[in-house]
Amino acid sequence: MIDSKEASAALADIDDIVQRVRQSRIYDLASQMMIMWGVLVFAANIATWLWPREAYYYWLAVYVLGIAGSFAISSANQASTGVRSFDMRMLFAFLMFVAFGFLCAHVLGHFTPRQQGAFWTIYFMLFYALAGLWFGTAFVVISLAITALTLIGYFFVTGDTFLPWMAVVNGGGLIVGGLWMRRS
Amino acid sequence: MAELDDIIHQPLRLKIMAALNALPGAAGLDFSRLKKLTGATDGNLGAHIETLAKAGYVSVDKAFVGKKPQTTVTATAAGRGAFARHVATLQEIIAGKQV
Repeated sequence: MIDSKEASAALADIDDIVQRVRQSRIYDLASQMMIMWGVLVFAANIATWLWPREAYYYWLAVYVLGIAGSFAISSANQASTGVRSFDMRMLFAFLMFVAFGFLCAHVLGHFTPRQQGAFWTIYFMLFYALAGLWFGTAFVVISLAITALTLIGYFFVTGDTFLPWMAVVNGGGLIVGGLWMRRS
Repeated sequence: MAELDDIIHQPLRLKIMAALNALPGAAGLDFSRLKKLTGATDGNLGAHIETLAKAGYVSVDKAFVGKKPQTTVTATAAGRGAFARHVATLQEIIAGKQV
């Protein structure tokens, strides 16, 4: 038989591993979502750069495909884990988040395309940083890196090259961040 | 008076069972993920998984994902029950109900 000190140590080991499993599952799911959104955002930035007249359609398509993809990833994970991660409540939270961004960018302010490119990226990265406070520092690191590179682009990358810059920084950043998170 | 489970009590096997028990339903963990979570070496982890499998506490499924072999370890109902009893015993020891 062991004493209470050894029993406490064993329970602490159990708590530690449970936390790690929990974080690992969050990172695994988040990485899939990040990579999917990264591909969409990369494509939309490049399409906006090449054919700017239809930009609103591309970004509308990003949201529609992104939400559908999030549901698909969530369903696939539900089959293996029994837990549904992206449900209707998450969808409404996402739509409220987008609606508030729209209010800021189009109603209260009248942002230029360049300002919008920077604003939406930083705005979504704020969401990642907040998520990181609960779900792990990788979210915060990815958020800060993409925000910093977005601001560098906004202030120092001139003219049309800002959109390909944002494709790499935002789209590419999410893809790289997702891959890194998967390995964490 | 409940007894500690000798099979689960070994530190690495305790970590393996804790990790698998933290998953919902019939979900399992692949070998590489389990290795990362427990910080064990390949050989050590394999040997302890085998001990748990012989006791009927885990099931081991080997399959190919693409061209790569993948080993998935899942806690059985017996394993989850044994782990729950083991944790309850640890808590009793801390509470001073057992010496």
